[in-house]
Amino acid sequence: MTLILIALKFLLIVFGSIIAGFIGSLTGLGGGTVLVPVLTLFYGIPFIFAAGASLISTIATSAGSASAYTKKKIANIKIGIGLEIATTTGAIVGSLTLIFIDKHSLIWSVYVIFGLVLLFSLIPTIKKIGKEIPPETKPDWSTKLFQLTGSYYDERLRKTIKYHGIRWWLGEIVMFFAGFVSGLLGIGSGALKVLGMDWAMNLPMKVTTTSSNFMIGITAATGSSIYWYEGYINLFIAAATAIGVLIGAFFGAKVLVKISNENIRWIFFAILSFLGFDMVFKGLHLINFIITFSLMIQFFISIIISIVLISLLYYNSKRKEWRDNNEKSR
Amino acid sequence: MKNHDDEIIISYFLKAGVMISVSFIIVGVILLFAKNGGDGYTLAQMSDYHYALAHGIDSRSVSLNKILSGLSEIDGLYFITVGLWVLIFTPITVVFIGWLSFLEDKNYLYVGMASIVLFNLFFAMLVIPRFIV
Repeated sequence: MTLILIALKFLLIVFGSIIAGFIGSLTGLGGGTVLVPVLTLFYGIPFIFAAGASLISTIATSAGSASAYTKKKIANIKIGIGLEIATTTGAIVGSLTLIFIDKHSLIWSVYVIFGLVLLFSLIPTIKKIGKEIPPETKPDWSTKLFQLTGSYYDERLRKTIKYHGIRWWLGEIVMFFAGFVSGLLGIGSGALKVLGMDWAMNLPMKVTTTSSNFMIGITAATGSSIYWYEGYINLFIAAATAIGVLIGAFFGAKVLVKISNENIRWIFFAILSFLGFDMVFKGLHLINFIITFSLMIQFFISIIISIVLISLLYYNSKRKEWRDNNEKSR
Repeated sequence: MKNHDDEIIISYFLKAGVMISVSFIIVGVILLFAKNGGDGYTLAQMSDYHYALAHGIDSRSVSLNKILSGLSEIDGLYFITVGLWVLIFTPITVVFIGWLSFLEDKNYLYVGMASIVLFNLFFAMLVIPRFIV
């Protein structure tokens, strides 16, 4: 009887991980960003076990979907490996920081940081919504030195797109933080990697999301090995999440190549904002700071805040589009 | 990367790594349920997260030195362990393939950069654990 209950528990984690993996792969986030909140908020798993299971499963998402993208030659492996210098260094510093925080019983702060990282990573995303291919820029010194050029075939636009990256140094700085966040929070931190390549280096969205997907695995491998020796990986949970996330990522990758970039960004935004608010509330709840109402009420407040926010921003972006169209037709 | 076949090879390596890893994990899970636990712990103890957290039933309690004996005793926990470590090594092989292909292209700047990445990976795996345990 208890074995059946445990099996059910296992399958529930697999199910949650499938959803997390699907969304993670679709957005280039890598699963963990959705998985950690799901495991901690809905399954009551301690943060460090959630982070451990999530980080190691992130490798599965990354490897699973990256194998599809690299074959299609969208991901830029050279730029990716170059930027991994910063992400792996960041991952080492980040996971050591988490160990410090855990040993000093400051885990509530990781929830708040988790939520804030999610919410702040939205700002640049909202600003650029609707731009599929980045604005034209002149190559700078780093473009030539670090060979930041490439091309890929866009299935939806039906043409080969040539691109070049700029500001390699700024990309490396953002990537260090991406790695740090990955090690600290047990996520792939694809959002920050996308930020580094999209905003800092001005690469096209499709190259950014696919290369980030490939880089996440290397960053997560660095953090995971440190997590392993520190005992942050519960094998029961990690086995379930690794399988689930992989299944989810498989379907996510099938869909990604076919949908428009604008849709990716809106899904991105909607889910992140809800999870972000809820994680902040949970962290503050743990130390009874200001917010002391129950988890259920926190949950609904987070949903309401994010729905209102997304609707407003969606309306705002559509209104701009109408105005542009009207001006064109005149 | 001039030689675009490298991307195909990388793609196969990633796929193979994930498939090997997942097979080990699935076999491990089946064994875990069939034998009601592994490595001296029952399934109920492992799946009670707060009990596991308090009693240190986690990756630290699984000794990597015992992998071979664990596998020969058909212990599910060690099958999952192997699966997870194959997963960790999968992206590392990709950096290694990248390193080789940069060398082939005589792109020494990128050979150097890939070397730093590999150094970081092994630093995290071999050096840091000695200081934190």
